[in-house]
Amino acid sequence: MDSNTYKLTKEHFLDFSAAVTGFSKFKLQGTGQVSLYFDTIRGVIGDEMFAELLQTFCGDSKNVDKIMASLKLGPIARNIIKLWYIATWEQLPLVWQEKFGATLNDGTFIASPYAYTEGLLWPVIGVNPPAAKAPGYATWSEPPKFYKPKEKKPN
Amino acid sequence: MTKRAKHIKTVEDLHQYLKDAMKIEHATLPPYLTALYSLKPGSNLEAFHMIRAIAVEEMLHLTLVVNVFNAVGGNIEGVLTDSEFVPHYPTYLPTGATDFQVNVEKFSREALETFCNIERSEDMKEESSSDNVSEEEPSQPKEFLLPIFGSCADGRKNQPEQKFFSIGQFYQEVIDGFMDLYEQEGQNLFSSDSSKQISREYYYNGAGEIVKVTNLDSALKALYIIQNQGEGSRKGEIYDSEKKLCHYYRFQQLELGRYYVIDESNPINSDQPDNPTGDSFTVDWDAVYPVLENAKLSDYPQGSQLYTHGQEFQKAYSKFLAQIEKSFDGNPKQLIPAVGEMFRLKELANSLIRNPIPGKKGVNGAPIYR
Repeated sequence: MDSNTYKLTKEHFLDFSAAVTGFSKFKLQGTGQVSLYFDTIRGVIGDEMFAELLQTFCGDSKNVDKIMASLKLGPIARNIIKLWYIATWEQLPLVWQEKFGATLNDGTFIASPYAYTEGLLWPVIGVNPPAAKAPGYATWSEPPKFYKPKEKKPN
Repeated sequence: MTKRAKHIKTVEDLHQYLKDAMKIEHATLPPYLTALYSLKPGSNLEAFHMIRAIAVEEMLHLTLVVNVFNAVGGNIEGVLTDSEFVPHYPTYLPTGATDFQVNVEKFSREALETFCNIERSEDMKEESSSDNVSEEEPSQPKEFLLPIFGSCADGRKNQPEQKFFSIGQFYQEVIDGFMDLYEQEGQNLFSSDSSKQISREYYYNGAGEIVKVTNLDSALKALYIIQNQGEGSRKGEIYDSEKKLCHYYRFQQLELGRYYVIDESNPINSDQPDNPTGDSFTVDWDAVYPVLENAKLSDYPQGSQLYTHGQEFQKAYSKFLAQIEKSFDGNPKQLIPAVGEMFRLKELANSLIRNPIPGKKGVNGAPIYR
């Protein structure tokens, strides 16, 4: 697909998120946080930079390495991963802000209280967020049950 | 001695009614839980807490019925794992007239109206049997029917459909049957083995105390808890014997967007039915996932993630019913890990509801219970 036609949409954001988090789109949508994270990212870095990120990705997981290596897009991509895993947006590094322009709404914050309970961290380590999501009485005496993403077939 | 019960004449009859009671209590769960999980995270907290609390009480009711059933020598093997234990939705449910059906659907005004119908009771002027209420309440337009889910194999195929106005009435028949049988058999009605009883070491869910059933008093206590929590005192008040708002009026709060006020220290001062005077709140009917009504696995495209996860849920749900049946059958300790599995089912249910169905625009999946 022509990168110019790969628009800034929730669907494309979901595709990108699946590529960088290692979770399927089904699981990501299952968290119920797609809209919130989409809006959060737009709110911090703005549409133009967000669109640039997605256009560089262009729906192809082969472009992820390029994005991660990019001085401009890498930190944003890593922030997106953290947003998914721990529902936290971390303020972009000072070095990045100096080079690419401090954004208006940057800071370190949790996207929402509920988003925290849907962080991908929890299924990866096989526990529920303490005191935020009941796991069932006495289940703490059982071994953790890990979420194992399916092995990605090479393209 | 005049018999109180209309239909329950033998211990076998009682067993059948108790099995039906389990089916009834369980059958409300797919509708209540699906509506609950269809609420978008962070929205409609009032609805979330109210529906959740009611669903949890139904689970308590199921367990109480099992305790009663086991106490009178019932054999639970094959009951929860019967292929017809989970209804086909849409279905006629207990307390429902045959003029409405119950769906597994998203939270909405329609769903709420159905839930109120499920929990609605005929107010009783005094404890009585089911035959003369229609004369006392001429304004009620229709007789409520409660088709009993008996299977032919249980030897009831020659019996006319037994009718009750509400779940409360159904339990009244059970209570009446109990008392009649106790008059005949005495303590022999009860099994001397109480090892199958689920007690509070194995069961806690905050809906109320689980009752270990070993004699008439404890059996009646268990049955009255169920009857009361759903319907209330059945004397025209909004609360049950514990002075808690009964299910019908809790659902009505959501319809009206207003809390009822119960004065626990002086209940006479509580609100009157249909007139809540507590705080108002707003229900956001749009903050709901567009769940496909009465979804079946065949509604999901084969090979899709939704299909795979739908199938996973359905298998896990069946396994869960088998696990709790086993724990009810003399292995109470196993209830604890079974309930742990139940919490994981919730995660799967949520992910189904939050995912769109490929190829069906604007419609999301739902848990598949059978």
